[in-house]
Amino acid sequence: MLKDMWSIFTDRTDFFLELLLEHLEISLVSIFIAILLGGFAGILISEFQKAAKPTLGVINFLYTIPSISMLGFLIPFSGVGNATAIIALTVYALLPMVRNTHTGIANVDPAILEAAKGMGSTRIQILFKIKLPLAMPVIMSGIRNMVTMTIALAGIASFIGAGGLGVAIYRGITTNNTAMTMVGSLLIALLALVMDFVLGCIEKQMRKHSVKHKKTNKIMAVVAAILGLSIAGGFFINTQQKDTLHIATKPMTEQYVLGEMLDILIEQDTDLNVELTQGVGGGTSNIQPAMESGEFDMYPEYTGTGWNMVLKHDGLYTEDLFCELEDEYNERFNMDWVGMYGFNNTYGLVVRREIAEQYDLKTYSDLKAVAEDLTFGAEYDFFEREDGYDALCETYGLNFGKTMDLDIGLKYQAINQGKIDVMVIFTTDGQLSASDVVVLEDDKHFYPSYICGNVIRTEVLEKYPELEAVFEKLNGLITDSDMAAMNYAVETENKEPRDVAEEYLSSHNLLQ
Amino acid sequence: MKTAIEFKNIKKAYGEKVVMESFNLSIEKGEFVTIIGSSGCGKTTALKMVNGLIQPTEGDILVDGENIRHKNQTQLRRNIGYAIQGSVLFPHMTVEQNISYVPNLLNKRNKEKTKNAVSKWMKIVGLSEDLKHRYPSELSGGQQQRVGIARALAASPDILLMDEPFGAVDEITRGQLQTEMKRIYEQTGITVLFVTHDISEALKLGTKVLVMNNGKIEQFAKPEDLLHSPATEFVKELVKKERRTCYLPEKPLASCEFSGVANETENDDAK
Repeated sequence: MLKDMWSIFTDRTDFFLELLLEHLEISLVSIFIAILLGGFAGILISEFQKAAKPTLGVINFLYTIPSISMLGFLIPFSGVGNATAIIALTVYALLPMVRNTHTGIANVDPAILEAAKGMGSTRIQILFKIKLPLAMPVIMSGIRNMVTMTIALAGIASFIGAGGLGVAIYRGITTNNTAMTMVGSLLIALLALVMDFVLGCIEKQMRKHSVKHKKTNKIMAVVAAILGLSIAGGFFINTQQKDTLHIATKPMTEQYVLGEMLDILIEQDTDLNVELTQGVGGGTSNIQPAMESGEFDMYPEYTGTGWNMVLKHDGLYTEDLFCELEDEYNERFNMDWVGMYGFNNTYGLVVRREIAEQYDLKTYSDLKAVAEDLTFGAEYDFFEREDGYDALCETYGLNFGKTMDLDIGLKYQAINQGKIDVMVIFTTDGQLSASDVVVLEDDKHFYPSYICGNVIRTEVLEKYPELEAVFEKLNGLITDSDMAAMNYAVETENKEPRDVAEEYLSSHNLLQ
Repeated sequence: MKTAIEFKNIKKAYGEKVVMESFNLSIEKGEFVTIIGSSGCGKTTALKMVNGLIQPTEGDILVDGENIRHKNQTQLRRNIGYAIQGSVLFPHMTVEQNISYVPNLLNKRNKEKTKNAVSKWMKIVGLSEDLKHRYPSELSGGQQQRVGIARALAASPDILLMDEPFGAVDEITRGQLQTEMKRIYEQTGITVLFVTHDISEALKLGTKVLVMNNGKIEQFAKPEDLLHSPATEFVKELVKKERRTCYLPEKPLASCEFSGVANETENDDAK
């Protein structure tokens, strides 16, 4: 494991360093804003004690919102990406900042304050000359806590398409690359520790109060401020680029590969710059709003998902409805379906090749006659779901001899070992390509169709007509088994999605 | 002599509770007034009214003939020295920064002047210059009190308010500080209001002693008058012990008939 981690880190140092830098930027910007805002709020509520309780109450409440739902709440307002991440992180960082500033100031000895007042200091003078310097140790410890927390929390920012080391973690999880997840996590921990150490040193330095130290402190403060500002500044400048196509993908292995294909092809065939936001957490439910607000220009989607989740139709989707789907997307969202890859990522039934040959099985209906002699396997929830086992059996009149509950990670192993004969799969499952099984045809259309294509904003398509040619190349490019093989390459052989995408395109002579 | 501070018909009430009523007092310039009384008798309240930290419910306070109600409170306070219980120093500032706190509020620009003032006052209160860059936590209790006095005096105010400034130091140091204080007073001719709960301190330091009880003045007189002719039972009780062990300075000591010195003379006469 350690060896894997080391090799992935050395192989992809640039990738990790870039994420690390981005992580630092997102965290620092949030921390910086939180220090300013939180410090200001903390001062205000200490000066106007009446406001303290309600303010702390509100901030406490915000703090209790789970981070995932906080990000979810924010998406409709600030979209996906770094901005939302920074807002969420800032909100969480506010509490320790406000509370410590308030506590620090509130705990200043009232006798000292009275002395200062009695000697003729104005309110402002008392605040800056007495209260803040005396509250500084408490405020500093608040900042230390907050910094560590923010850096750790920034790991989930990738859930909503923001950058940072969370990208490595999330990508590792979705594409079954444990080493990548571990490296990402370790780097976050390391970053947090280093920052805490640096702040600890600063804290120590601040406590020493000889005249000489005061001078070094001032110089250090200026250097730190310049450094912080330049990082933050670089961040804001970075985000402004022209003629860029923003492509999002869902957190699924095959979407990572598709995203890379789009990136490679579009940058090769047009002058456009592609910005790829891979594995947006929550998938369609977060990407679609971002498409509507224009933050993303396109993303790979499945027809059935579009029909049920985006257009919110109840019925079963079949490809006969594609024209209707397209029209409705056009009318309601001003979006188009382009570049239909050709593969269908739906539920499917497979049987072991031996058995398929023995009984000459081709369709679900063929199973009816032999079901009694076969063992059926699926994940636990398939037996519970409304459109699961019972519905399937009823539609096709099946009556399996035995059923078996299987863990999703173990079911391919089970069928390869002959423990089960029939099982439920996704038609592009990576392991499908490595198993000796036959996919049966859903002749009564029990499952909706999930043909994969790209949803793009019509406006973008009109602005860059050169994209049409690219999408033309994608039409029917990938079959179910091709996609399964590519998923297998990423998930099991631990290849990089980009390499897999490149290989596939090159084998179809699409690369120049 | 001119009047430095005048209380006119002062009433102070916290809600229903009246802590002071028809309080009239006039303090002459250059007087060292010690204020004594049981705790909660209103002595600190009276003191804090002079620099506007506490506002009277009714009545007026005149400082140098001007009603302080109409004055800028901040400016007023900067021109009145203030040293409170334990002389709380600012823990995050050096001795120098503590002493120059008020001068800095008054004139930020003139650093040279402030620096000179710091040196001057450190000398007067008996602090050696090399303590300048120390922090309060690095000083002894007595040194801290001296810094507190220097800080209160640094802007050369005409009036100095002190609220039990020597309350937290040991007996020996307190004795030294009292002597220093007396000397500083004589050297500067400043008007001092000094709250204490120690009758011997009140008698030793004050040119006049104000005895208060329940927000009222029991007696306002010279120390020897207090001993000679206590105006009320309360004062009598208060000075009872002091009448036996007169802590008066050397000179008035002999004139105090209740002091050991006086008794000795009496006894001698009897012989």
